[in-house]
Amino acid sequence: MPNTAEVVKPVASLMGVTKRIGSKTLISDLTLDIPPGQIFGFLGPNGAGKTTTIRMMVGLISISRGDILICGRSIKDHFEEAIANVGAIVENPEMYKFLTGYQNLRQYARMVPGVTKERINEVVELVGLSQRINDRVKTYSLGMRQRLGVAQALLHRPKLLILDEPTNGLDPQGIRELRDYLRKLCQTEGTTVFVSSHLLSEMELMCDSVAIIQNGRLIDVKQLKTVGDAAVPVSQTFFEVDNPEAALAQIGQGVIMEGGLAVDAVREEIAELNAKLVAAGIKVYSIKAMSRSLEDQFLEITGGEGIG
Amino acid sequence: MGEFASLIHNENIKIFRRLRTWIMLVLLALMSALFPALIHFTTNGSNVVGLWDSFRTTVTIAFFLNTIFTALVAADSVAGEFTWGTIKLLLIRPWSRSKILLSKYISLVIFSLVSTGVLILFGYGSAFIFSSGAAGISGDMVMGWGQGEYVFMLILCSYIELFLTAAIAFMISSVFRSSGLAIVLSLSIMFTKDIFIAIFNPDRYEWANYLIFAHMNLSNYVVSDTGPGGATLGFAIAVLAVYYVVFMAVSWIVFRKRDVAA
Repeated sequence: MPNTAEVVKPVASLMGVTKRIGSKTLISDLTLDIPPGQIFGFLGPNGAGKTTTIRMMVGLISISRGDILICGRSIKDHFEEAIANVGAIVENPEMYKFLTGYQNLRQYARMVPGVTKERINEVVELVGLSQRINDRVKTYSLGMRQRLGVAQALLHRPKLLILDEPTNGLDPQGIRELRDYLRKLCQTEGTTVFVSSHLLSEMELMCDSVAIIQNGRLIDVKQLKTVGDAAVPVSQTFFEVDNPEAALAQIGQGVIMEGGLAVDAVREEIAELNAKLVAAGIKVYSIKAMSRSLEDQFLEITGGEGIG
Repeated sequence: MGEFASLIHNENIKIFRRLRTWIMLVLLALMSALFPALIHFTTNGSNVVGLWDSFRTTVTIAFFLNTIFTALVAADSVAGEFTWGTIKLLLIRPWSRSKILLSKYISLVIFSLVSTGVLILFGYGSAFIFSSGAAGISGDMVMGWGQGEYVFMLILCSYIELFLTAAIAFMISSVFRSSGLAIVLSLSIMFTKDIFIAIFNPDRYEWANYLIFAHMNLSNYVVSDTGPGGATLGFAIAVLAVYYVVFMAVSWIVFRKRDVAA
């Protein structure tokens, strides 16, 4: 656990959370603190237990052992007070299809005190649904329902926003917008965002930290910025050359790839290797750093296993 | 944590914003209005049917439809949310599951009162237009009841039957989360209870007295002191009350405890 967790009170704490159904253990002894003011990613392959964990966090399913605190309140014992701090989408955002988008939002607005019409309009504006908000939800595309889902989660200005695979069904434009307004929420309103995904590249762009889960167990918690830094010192470098075989013979190490050679090298060596190649009469067209993506690390950590 | 009334408001919107609900109410109104007219035009002059007789026949028939429609609404009340997937968004609000279920049940009762109101309004209105005079072949009094009083006692009994059928549908909807099952089971109880009583006659089998089937139709007690198996009205009401409490308890316990993983 990072030291910051002791200084700043976490928005949500999962304490030894276990979920058992019959003899099958879906989540096993999961302990995790979600620090405030962050976009916190929850990463794992399909079937790892992301949605099950989120369902426990919002009280949709019971917790077999352990407890979950949200803003210091147990979701088991003080459900109403704990859940008041949470806005969430669990799996697909399903809405009442026979109602309009606006009428759907009114449903949820009525269930919490202090959500004004102005607030509803503000949220609709934020998720970019103003044009279609008075149409029935049955005419909405998946992306539009996703936006409406985010809108209902934001209505009551929750301290913790839980989004389960929110980029599902969004086009690249929509994903970009979602990322931008999550960032904005986080910065301006101090909302903590807990977002699950199996899309690693997405998480890399969106999150401050990620927790990685596999087969119902927490495997690792990483601060993403440091993940990127750690990859710098020994980086794989790709030399695009006219004759990869000759280049390999000159350098004496590396892997031949299409149109070039991939070499493990620290920063200083790259220039030297380049000089060597040029001196040997090999044409070097480009040199690229191949920093290891989170995806590689993720596959390394989870061992690239199938659904267990 | 907000007003409970707004929860009921929400549930009413879910019922009355659906086209289906309005189709049901229009059908019920049409049927209630049609029967007095049919009775009027199919009887000849010598055999005049009075206002209350016409109304009574209409009520008896139209209540079947009313019960079916109310069971449909009851069946969708909880199961519909599961089918639509909206239950996940509904249950993550700062309200306990008990209160959410209560708001659903209250809105169901409101619907049943509205539909019964429609039935009475259109049935009586039509009977009033298509009948000749207040007195018909059955005279002024039925077993000590005034004609109007008698019909309204029958309506009360029919409503109790509807109320219990709806409670069964609501329970099955909450326990099995399947509206189809809720409709089929609740309505089959309504339609087969007479066969049940015929087979397990309370006059022959002592234990049959404790079955709900024997007592759902209280209209016998309007004209007689004892019902099937020599039961008294008080006994019948007690049996029904126990069943009703059990239905409600099962609905609430299951809805509160169950994992929502739809």
